[in-house]
Amino acid sequence: MADIGYIALCLALTASVYSAIAYTVGARRRNWPLVTSAKNSLLAVSGLISISIAILAYALVTHNFQLEYVASYSSRDMPLAYLLSALWAGNDGSLLFWAWLLSIFAAIVILQKRNIGQELVPYASSVIAVTLAFFLVLLLFVSTPFHKLSFTPVDGTGLNPLLENPGMILHPPALLVGYVGFTIPFAFAIAALLTKRLGDEWLIMIRRWALLAWLCLGVGLIIGAWWAYVELGWGGYWAWDPVENAGLLPWLVSTAFLHSIMMQRRRGMLKAWNMVLVILTFSLTIFGTFLTRSGVLSSVHTFSESTLGPFFLTFIGVTLFGSLGLLYYRSADLRDEAEMESFISRESTFLLNNLLLIGSTFAIFLGTVFPVISEMVRGVKITVGPPFFNQVNGPIFLALILLAGICTLTGWRRVSIRNLTRHFLWPLLAGLILGIVIFILGVREWYALIGFPICGFVLTTILYEWSRGVKVRHQIRAENYFKAFWCLITTNRPRYGGYIVHIAILLMTIGIVGSSLYDVEQEVTLKPGEMMTIKNYTLTYENLDIYETENRAVVTTTLSVNNHGELVGKLVPEKYFHRSYKQPVTEVAIRTTLREDLYVILLGWDEDNTATFKVLVNPLVSWIWIGGGVFLLGGLIACWPER
Amino acid sequence: MRTKKFLIGGLIVCLAIGYLGFLGFQSSATYYYSVSELTEQGSTIYDENVRVKGQVAPGSVEQGTTGNTLKFIVIEGGTSLPVTYQGVVPDTFGMATEIVIEGQLNSTGTFQAHTLMPKCPSKYVPQQ
Repeated sequence: MADIGYIALCLALTASVYSAIAYTVGARRRNWPLVTSAKNSLLAVSGLISISIAILAYALVTHNFQLEYVASYSSRDMPLAYLLSALWAGNDGSLLFWAWLLSIFAAIVILQKRNIGQELVPYASSVIAVTLAFFLVLLLFVSTPFHKLSFTPVDGTGLNPLLENPGMILHPPALLVGYVGFTIPFAFAIAALLTKRLGDEWLIMIRRWALLAWLCLGVGLIIGAWWAYVELGWGGYWAWDPVENAGLLPWLVSTAFLHSIMMQRRRGMLKAWNMVLVILTFSLTIFGTFLTRSGVLSSVHTFSESTLGPFFLTFIGVTLFGSLGLLYYRSADLRDEAEMESFISRESTFLLNNLLLIGSTFAIFLGTVFPVISEMVRGVKITVGPPFFNQVNGPIFLALILLAGICTLTGWRRVSIRNLTRHFLWPLLAGLILGIVIFILGVREWYALIGFPICGFVLTTILYEWSRGVKVRHQIRAENYFKAFWCLITTNRPRYGGYIVHIAILLMTIGIVGSSLYDVEQEVTLKPGEMMTIKNYTLTYENLDIYETENRAVVTTTLSVNNHGELVGKLVPEKYFHRSYKQPVTEVAIRTTLREDLYVILLGWDEDNTATFKVLVNPLVSWIWIGGGVFLLGGLIACWPER
Repeated sequence: MRTKKFLIGGLIVCLAIGYLGFLGFQSSATYYYSVSELTEQGSTIYDENVRVKGQVAPGSVEQGTTGNTLKFIVIEGGTSLPVTYQGVVPDTFGMATEIVIEGQLNSTGTFQAHTLMPKCPSKYVPQQ
């Protein structure tokens, strides 16, 4: 069976190389039968990779431990969902998953019916086929998931118990769909450059792809943060780990791209810049894939060091410099059709938004690779920690959020001061009042005193904008307010989806600012019956129990929780010791309210049942996850196909 | 003229970001050594915050009674470094062969770590 998977990959490589060449040659010479054969062979590639991933999935489900990959990442006691998630748990499998996703996307691109841009499809498909060929080479010659052991182990090692979380089923695929999805915009950008069809056509064709990839990547990052928070048991959700950064970088650049395409669509500006952003996003997704696999930077996420590094660096180098060179070669055809007219205009806010997003990306990139750079330059490794990333990005992100509010109520081209004061009066007042209120309530930290009023200001600008739209519809079409609001959103989904995403960002900002400024933690050692107090909570340690199940030993402790003197429930932090794994799993206990999370970690215990806990109170964290849900909603509204 | 104004504006924003980066760098730049490199530095780096990479010496791990203090030895390049740590022990620590620790070396030669970053082997090694 496994041999068939390997052979399918071999055939897929041949077919994708053929397809890449035949597409380009066929489109150049206008030899349509050749283009059709290229198309069919690319479809065959996606069929072949599907066969091979199905075979790997089958091997996982049927416990074919002779395959090294199956033996390394699965075991007999794993439930089906986790068996399938083992597809992306390891290096080789996740590369195969990458290639499979891309081949499916390629098939969708080929089979999609379209009225415009048919001329771009052959070249774009050719770029996709080249990318596929690169991953197939890796899968065949460097890290193949179909490698067989010389013997068949009785059972596999199994998935690391830390990965047994619903996050494992959602987080990697969402991230990978995001990563892989950006190949399509990149492919069409290159196709536009090659064919000199540099108008809005390619932007229209890739808008939904870029949006979907961006949405999946964003959701993947949020699920990752949630997973770290509930499973890794250190009380935080984001650590500026190199691999987290690698996911954030393409997301930031693509956020810049989604904003700047509006400049090209509305005003014919920033054409070359948009190209740069697409190329950069794609390169960063490959860089992220590389970072997780190379062992260049130390990170909790990395797969074990492998020999993939040089291949990825070559591929990134070739695509980045090749496409930037092509862009330079075509720069004469990418002149802007309009000029900036005024400082106070929507164009300005978009420019500044792009500048800040790219500035933040650059700072995060530099901070992430700094150990490597400093070693090359000075021979010593120097790392920069979370304070660096927080200090740089805190102000930048607040400025970005402020811009989102200003942009909402600022018109294109130029705006009169009178108009500005009229529109901004209420939002400014709202922000100011919020600031004064929280100051009176005792808030003194700068970030909170600036951050929360900014959120209030931006939220009011969005609500003001919506209420204007609703009023107009109500007056002109005599619709009632609810219908007017519904129609407002459904008739211009990209725009209102965007506003909803902005609201999601506000909610997350509230959560992030609140939880990073006002978290308290305490480490205590308690005997059964003793209690401890943290903020308004009193925790009473009741008892410790150790019991054995079929595959693990569980140490469980019970604490009853009083909030303001009132019994609100029990928390049960635990530790598992799996028989097949040397590593314990800490199960934190969390009591979540909209106001704050009470978070208890069991650190250790004694024979007389004395136990040590770390207790944290993290304010407003749940707003981050609520924001995540709203983010998904807004993104889906923006992506939803128009009739 | 107008383009010039925009360029100047952009430049100011870039400088501001650069300045933020510089401040952040000053407050968090940390040297990253291997164990042997660390011992070569001698007394010059006592009490300075550094990151150190090495292997956890097999059998050297001593867990304190309540489970949140930890003593172990990190070895690399023929040198060894005794480490003490207090706090949440990451679950992955037990599996780790290679580890990165952050903290200070004090004058008695003991490394007081405040952060443990274990790296796990994700490769299956057949037993025999």
